[in-house]
Amino acid sequence: MLTVKELRKTYDTKGRRVEAIGDVSFSVADGEFVCVVGPSGCGKTTLLRCIAGLLPPTSGEVHVDGRRVTGPPDGLAVVFQEYGRSLFPWLRVFDNVELPLRAAGMPKAERIELVTEALDSVSLGEAHGAYPWQLSGGMQQRVAIARAIAYQPRVLLMDEPFAAVDAQTRADLEDLIRSVWRRLGVTLVFVTHDIDESVYLGQRVIMLSSPPTSVVEDLAVDLPAERDQLATRSEPRFTELRGRVYAQIQKAKQES
Amino acid sequence: MIVLRRVGLAIGLPVVLVAIWWFASAGSTEFYFPPLSKIVGAFPATWFGERMVDDVLPSLLRLAIGYLAALVAGIGLGIPIGANQTLRAVVEPLFEFLRAIPPPVLVPILMLVAGIGATMKILVIISGCVWPVLLNTVAGVRAVDEVLTDTCASYRIRGGSRVWHLMIRSASPQIVAGARQALSIGIILMVISEMFAASSGIGFTVIQFKDGFRIPQMWTGVILLGLLGVLLASLFRLAERHVLGWYHGIRAAEKER
Repeated sequence: MLTVKELRKTYDTKGRRVEAIGDVSFSVADGEFVCVVGPSGCGKTTLLRCIAGLLPPTSGEVHVDGRRVTGPPDGLAVVFQEYGRSLFPWLRVFDNVELPLRAAGMPKAERIELVTEALDSVSLGEAHGAYPWQLSGGMQQRVAIARAIAYQPRVLLMDEPFAAVDAQTRADLEDLIRSVWRRLGVTLVFVTHDIDESVYLGQRVIMLSSPPTSVVEDLAVDLPAERDQLATRSEPRFTELRGRVYAQIQKAKQES
Repeated sequence: MIVLRRVGLAIGLPVVLVAIWWFASAGSTEFYFPPLSKIVGAFPATWFGERMVDDVLPSLLRLAIGYLAALVAGIGLGIPIGANQTLRAVVEPLFEFLRAIPPPVLVPILMLVAGIGATMKILVIISGCVWPVLLNTVAGVRAVDEVLTDTCASYRIRGGSRVWHLMIRSASPQIVAGARQALSIGIILMVISEMFAASSGIGFTVIQFKDGFRIPQMWTGVILLGLLGVLLASLFRLAERHVLGWYHGIRAAEKER
């Protein structure tokens, strides 16, 4: 269980106080897949960094598994948007995925098994010995996803992970994430600015306003669990939900 | 073919210059500028005997110890200073002062403190070599990528693992650049430290030849130092290729795109 309660974040820059997050509260049940969507500049990344314990909130609380977040919590992994910068360029693919496990003091045999499995599950079984910068953007992001999988988190946060890859790769990665989530039963919070993506991926869409950010609407996505890029996206219910989210985001933009 | 061309380019100019020197000095009767043939003739007898063990190796050993100590100290101090803004504010003015002092003027002071033995000579080498390593390490650690820092934090990569995989490896291109500068400074200081109150070493020997008016032998010492410089630079390049393979790989990949 992940809860965000009355979270507020202000920045002081050059004597000017910027209210990035006004008041955000929501909770995510164990094993749930929630997408957070909002207009650009609405503090999505700030929110995610607060949940991840990378940024202390100005006020309010985040709890992961009943424990208050004051630093990066145990059992929580993050996949960042900038895949090129979140992988270690001096480590090969295998070592990149292995490093967090090694830092945790896991025995070698177990590490090898988990890393091999994780890389297989993102179809990178052949790329163990490559350096990240020898791979395409989509493959690099798959390495980052494999690292998160091998880490066996209970909560997985993803910060616009597919914003920088091309449309075709993006569709593949979306389906990959769906299958990973269903297989691992992990609690997943997926931040995106892409409305279609937010409806296609999750079980719920949390819509944020422009700064000072608050939750505009918390919408349940009642699409069947089996999703398909073509079939799901052409369902009337998908179009309806998509329209709903779109309208809310537009409204939120104009109000600010 | 490519290798042949590269070797040709690398040694072409030295070969031409040596040839010019050889022929221009061939009939020289000037005492201070003997013919190159005479210098080359004196080289083996001068260095490939006792002096190799008594002078060349001790010099190189002191250089190695001083240089490695400077690397360890420069990186070891550079990491906490680079990572901590307050610490940086405290020590940076002091560093500006200290690194502006030319290490040779420290020789008399170090002699008072450490005597005239090997310790003094090693300290002179350290005092010159540490700055480029230290300042480059600080700059490198300061520039560690934020996303990578966040990645380490959220995957709980901490302690020694974090220092090595995040800080040192991130800063390694800068550290290597500093180490390269330090190497040439080290060679200079190795010689200078042996010119005062010494009883062995390449620098000491060269000064002795000069004072004894053994001019061809003096010239062989100069050539030996040049050759050692080339040798050490090649060894450095080998080490760099090993340590920064990833870095050169990225740069080559970027160029292709």
